[in-house]
Amino acid sequence: MGTMGLALPWEARLSSVPREREMRVEPSEDLPGRPSQTVAPAATTAAAAEDAELAERCRAGDLGGYERLYELHGRRMKNVARNLLGSPIDAEDAVQETFLKVQRSITGFRGQSSFVTWTYRILINTCYDARRSRVRKKEVANDDTEESPGLEPRAPGAHPSLRMALERALAGLTKHQRDVFLLYEVEGFHHAEIAGMLEITETASKNTLFQAKRNLRQVLEPPRGNSAAGPR
Amino acid sequence: MNIKCEERDRIFEDGTPAEWAALEAHSANCAVCAEELRAWKAVSVAAKELRDYSDAPSLWPRIERALTAEAAVKKHRAERWGWLTLGFGLSLGWQTAAVAAMVLILTVSTGWVYLHRAGRGPGGDRDQSLLKSPALAEVERAQAAYEQAIDKLAADAKTQLENPATPLQASYREKLLVLDSAINDLRAQTGMNPSNAHLRQELLAMYQEKQQTLQDILEEKR
Repeated sequence: MGTMGLALPWEARLSSVPREREMRVEPSEDLPGRPSQTVAPAATTAAAAEDAELAERCRAGDLGGYERLYELHGRRMKNVARNLLGSPIDAEDAVQETFLKVQRSITGFRGQSSFVTWTYRILINTCYDARRSRVRKKEVANDDTEESPGLEPRAPGAHPSLRMALERALAGLTKHQRDVFLLYEVEGFHHAEIAGMLEITETASKNTLFQAKRNLRQVLEPPRGNSAAGPR
Repeated sequence: MNIKCEERDRIFEDGTPAEWAALEAHSANCAVCAEELRAWKAVSVAAKELRDYSDAPSLWPRIERALTAEAAVKKHRAERWGWLTLGFGLSLGWQTAAVAAMVLILTVSTGWVYLHRAGRGPGGDRDQSLLKSPALAEVERAQAAYEQAIDKLAADAKTQLENPATPLQASYREKLLVLDSAINDLRAQTGMNPSNAHLRQELLAMYQEKQQTLQDILEEKR
């Protein structure tokens, strides 16, 4: 099934991401729908409780639970999918497909990772499936039609040229390096969360990020004067 | 804490906050480390350019419709096969007795079938629900050809699907998404259990539905 392969060895699972959140050292920003990194224990407990409640509502078939999940994570899910698939249309399809898969598999969710991490893992696997399917379709379509793939337009950022250069540089990374880089640097996930989503160890996540940034550093020389962010 | 230039990469990979602070301090007096640190942070800053959390107003209504439709299908299936749950308002004791009776019947009938088939030898009548290798290869070839034909149809309907001009086209698009999802699930299941003829038939039914839907889209285009 599309959601198969989600099972992790017990040791590799996150018992509860918000509770075990590691200190993020490099610069980061807090994002909507996730607790702050310097969050008090009471807040992490509250986040864990909300996560459990969300899972319970979805398990009970409460549409409001799914709506809440969308409110908290929908935009970030779409951005993750957009960066993995390169197209906003495919990204929306992947997010919809993820919600359907969550609905289908929620009875199998045992709470060994956080519900949200589990949901993102499904999203990432869905994007991988979509990428594979797109490659297969392209092989068929190439028989009679020729189209230029390319990245589709997105909302303009502060530095469009920098974004384009980064997108080009990212294309030169391995799939694994690109995924870890996007999840850590763009989406602001922690290594423990990425480990749960990509079914790797935290150490592997840190090492892959290091390799990705080192490769990007060689290809991409960012403009000077952008080093405002301090250590996190 | 004193940091040497050789420790820079290790700190980049897995440094503690104290080590990062020490590296910053060290960079004040080391031009090479200062440049490396600046470039390292600049990559992180540039990554934020790939963040686009703009709202997609039509996405949640789409998801809501798909979730509701799938829940309705699930409910319908549960009602259709509900009698199998033996929930006819019987007490637990009766339900247990009924299950025990069914197990007994199954055991006896399986034993009967086994005994009668055992006498036929290796060339005897085989279980037709399991596809054997030559037949399986043939089915897989036919399925691959069918998939390719449907993919070509999908390529023809691509314009309407990507930019649905009417609510009907949007609805076709959603139907195809649900069908694709079901097809992917079934393909994964047949991958694990390739000889199961029942799964193959279900997959074929899904493909036929997809083909029909794509034909409807192309008909509407004309």
